[in-house]
Amino acid sequence: MAPGQRPDSLVLENQIAQLESATLARIHAAKNLEELEAIRVDVLGRKGSLTQFSKEFGKLTPEERSSAGKSLNAAKQSLESAFDERKQGFASEALEERLEAEWIDLTLPAPGTSPGSLHPVTRIQREIEDLFTSLGFAVLDGPEVETEYHNFDALNIPPEHPARDMQDTFWLSDGNLLRTHTSPVQVRGMERLGPPLRMIAPGRVFRNEEVDASHEHTFYQVEGMMVDRNVSVANLIYFMKTLLSAIFHREVTVRLRPGYFPFVEPGFELDIQCLICGGGGCQVCKQSGWVELLPCGLVHPNVLRMSGIDPEQWGGFAFGLGLTRLAMMRYGVDDIRLFASGDLRFLRQF
Amino acid sequence: MKFSYNWIREMVPALDIEPRELLRLITTKTAECEGLEVVGAALALASVAQVIHVEPIAGSHNQIAIVETERYGKKTVVCGAPNCRAGMQTVYIPVAMTVIQGVESDGMLASGLELGINRDHTGIVELGGELLLAPDSVIEVDNKSLTHRPDLWGHHGMAREVAAITHQSLRDPVQLELLPKGAAQIGVQIEDLALCPRYSALVFENVTVGPSPLWLQYRLESIGLNSINNIVDVTNYVMAEIAQPMHAFDAEKLHGKTIFVRSAKGGENIVALNDERYTLAPSNLIIADAEGPIAIAGVIGGRDSAIGAQTKRVVLEAACFQAASVRKTSVSLKLRTDASMRFEKSQDPVNTVRGLARAFELLYQVSPGIRLIGGVADCKADLKTAPSIDLSIEWLIRKLGRLVTAEEVREILTALEFGVTETGPGSFSVSVPSWRATKDVSIKDDLLEEVGRMIGYESITPRPPLIECAVPPDNPARKYEREVRDLVAARGFTEVHNYSFISEEMARAFHFDPDAHIKVTNPIAADQSLMRPSLLPGIRRNLIDNSRRLNSFRLFEIGREIHPRLEGLPEEIPHLAAASFAREGDGSVGLFELKRLAECLMPRCEVQPAPARKYEHPRRSATVSWRGGSIGRLFELHPSLGVEGRAAILDLDLALIERLDQREERYQSLRRFPTSAFDLSVITGLRDPVGSVEKLLARAAGSDLVEIEFVRQYTGAPLPEDRKSVSYRLTVGALDRTLSSEEVAVIRNRIIDAMREAGYELRV
Ligand SMILES: [Zn+2]
Repeated sequence: MAPGQRPDSLVLENQIAQLESATLARIHAAKNLEELEAIRVDVLGRKGSLTQFSKEFGKLTPEERSSAGKSLNAAKQSLESAFDERKQGFASEALEERLEAEWIDLTLPAPGTSPGSLHPVTRIQREIEDLFTSLGFAVLDGPEVETEYHNFDALNIPPEHPARDMQDTFWLSDGNLLRTHTSPVQVRGMERLGPPLRMIAPGRVFRNEEVDASHEHTFYQVEGMMVDRNVSVANLIYFMKTLLSAIFHREVTVRLRPGYFPFVEPGFELDIQCLICGGGGCQVCKQSGWVELLPCGLVHPNVLRMSGIDPEQWGGFAFGLGLTRLAMMRYGVDDIRLFASGDLRFLRQF
Repeated sequence: MKFSYNWIREMVPALDIEPRELLRLITTKTAECEGLEVVGAALALASVAQVIHVEPIAGSHNQIAIVETERYGKKTVVCGAPNCRAGMQTVYIPVAMTVIQGVESDGMLASGLELGINRDHTGIVELGGELLLAPDSVIEVDNKSLTHRPDLWGHHGMAREVAAITHQSLRDPVQLELLPKGAAQIGVQIEDLALCPRYSALVFENVTVGPSPLWLQYRLESIGLNSINNIVDVTNYVMAEIAQPMHAFDAEKLHGKTIFVRSAKGGENIVALNDERYTLAPSNLIIADAEGPIAIAGVIGGRDSAIGAQTKRVVLEAACFQAASVRKTSVSLKLRTDASMRFEKSQDPVNTVRGLARAFELLYQVSPGIRLIGGVADCKADLKTAPSIDLSIEWLIRKLGRLVTAEEVREILTALEFGVTETGPGSFSVSVPSWRATKDVSIKDDLLEEVGRMIGYESITPRPPLIECAVPPDNPARKYEREVRDLVAARGFTEVHNYSFISEEMARAFHFDPDAHIKVTNPIAADQSLMRPSLLPGIRRNLIDNSRRLNSFRLFEIGREIHPRLEGLPEEIPHLAAASFAREGDGSVGLFELKRLAECLMPRCEVQPAPARKYEHPRRSATVSWRGGSIGRLFELHPSLGVEGRAAILDLDLALIERLDQREERYQSLRRFPTSAFDLSVITGLRDPVGSVEKLLARAAGSDLVEIEFVRQYTGAPLPEDRKSVSYRLTVGALDRTLSSEEVAVIRNRIIDAMREAGYELRV
């Protein structure tokens, strides 16, 4: 356009359009962030080619100026967004490249020590503690070294009672003994807490027996007791069924049959229907369909009386469950000696 | 205790339940049955046989016998029995045809052992008439479940249960009216009627001692008793039938005409039927004649007065002895017999004369010509009838949690021969039969059991109790132990359980004087004779065992140490013993792993070098303390203890930690003004613990100190060989303002001066 000549607004707008499309092509072709920035300065910078167009506007009529201005702004906006888009494209490419380079083999072993494990008896014991705690039972502890009184006499087993033969006892040089069952904790619980009482007492017990695959001189039991105004055999069966269903993670069928334990009257042996054969008979249940699991019964009035509880006012049930045996059943352990072996090949499996 | 099905059926004639089902019923209602065994199976096919002709086989002790059998006709068999002879009557069994020494043998002639009727295998059975024996089923009942039931130590007692269970009638094998009246031919004197509430005896003459008839041998054999001779077998038979132990003396071998029941005098002794000599103590009750002991009461008879082949006159004893006394004697003499097992259960004194009546009847069968002389000698305490028990149906229902009717209760108790009298609507007065009254049944709770077991516990619907809800009492110590277990396991340690017993040798190796600790007086093995005063011997064993298979591992135990106290029960202290083993390496990793474990349990606990104990590495041992209490030890196990490799051990008193853990710590308000930090490096001896340097620095910094942090330690040039440099970063600040750089410099210089004064060189 010759100087001094009044510019044609249409021509101007046409030139803006041409610059826009040429610039878009350049943006697209830019190879990196630096190239892109150079193009931006060249076109949109303060001295950029698009910016220059506005200098021509003074020569236009107000109407033309408004129309050309609109075109210029539209071109500017379209280019700016094209620049941004391309810029973001470069950034995400760079990020992808970095991430790609940062590959880690997660199948490698984790550094540091791998976790250890809890003893299988501990695990079973916790399940039972948690269940009974949720039913409002206290978890009590008692000494492993007991007095003859608490282990026998207070449980209605006076000296020379033949029931003392049922539990071969370790006697100690200080005149005490190693508790043959967790039942003395019942007595201590009644003495300390009085009725009403709901308690369990898990712990280590001792019997002077030769050790073989199914006998140990040291094993774990949990004792349970409830003393309240109206406690019946029906209540006892309810708790035992609840306990065993929780332990074996399925509905179990139980049966009570007479069993003699001097601290309960009536006393029961509780059997569960064999979980292996479902009651049809197999090797585990010696073809009977039932597996003897725990002794229980209604607390003998003498036992209540000796602990200062009036048997006419209060009654209760008690049970004793072999934790070690339960762990054997639960995990299919066929040799009881493994529990005290300290053998990590065994213990690490839990 | 073994029960013969056929024997029970003699007393419950209408019994029509198969042995296996009977076993199930007895188990669920009376006592636990352990097994069922068929005896005398061969008798099913056996036949009486007359030996017609016998012919030797050349070069053999065997003979060819031609026999005429009752059931199978004429047979030819090969028989090796020395007593096989023409004209004898014996038993034939139709076993498969075999060829013996070229001769076809069609069946066999059987010995007592082969038929299962006795243990005789010296020859074939000599039969003197019909063979009236049949196969039997023997139910074995767990003795433990009969502990409280003196009556179930005989078949009659079990038959009573069976009759009650099956609603059949019961026949009593005893005819008491057989007993003679009149003066006894022997005197009885009981020193203490509490120890022997009754002693009854009969005297017989014209006795013939010989083998028992086969039926008697078979009965005893089927329940596991050995046949001795006709007289002794009768005593055993009566014991197995009505639970009354009996004893027969050769009357001619007794001195004097009186039997004494008394305590043994010190120094007295007796050779018993088992040929053992027992020295007796005054706590042993004996039966004596004018000269001395002739039997240990309720346990065993004496050899010198035993029935022998020549015996002509017999004193038959049926007595009742106090359970506790018999048990004490049996335990002290280490001698348990069929008699002592029964007396230990508190036998019924009413039963003695029943035993005599039954034996009398049987002796006339097995010893033809036998004659009674005189009446029954019967010395006894005043036998009181047990008081009746009041029983209410309402109470029964409440205890069982199931409805029962008065009619049901009456029926059940009557079948078991309790006396039931209605005293009002729903209430009874119940009298207890003598055989249940000695110890077994005395209160209404005992009757609850009778009713419960007979109506069947399976008929009770499980029901949750309706009770007031309450938060159970807390057990913080147990909760704490659980947290510790979780934490230690999560940090890589596997839980073990060790015995509470250790050997004296291990106690010494771990610095304990065996004589100062509690011993097991009857240990299972010599190396398990001491109650553990420490968990470490057990951990050591775990380390040795597992190091055979693994190059590195971690394990722990939470258990109780047992320490004697002057009075009362010993002290049981819960301990955590954790060990980290590595075959390779310098051992520091394990020690620091355990130090970190201690810090996790006791934040900011202190580990201070301490003189090593005998079992600790002398340069790697420390005490662990926390909140002012000494909690335990951190150390490497001394190589002399046999662990090959490095074993770091942490041994902590959990009771102490748990107690200190209860202490509530107050929150400290956050600082509002910025703090400043600077580093200091202290030169110190190579083996000076950095912990002491840190303490000195902290003390020098005083109340301006906000934090002190270990940065590094350095050895090597330019330091001399026996020195190291330890660097700490100290952060200082004030609560009420920001310290100026000049103030910080003053503090820093003060610390440097103090350290120099303490003899340390600083690199500044
Ligand atoms: Zn089964």
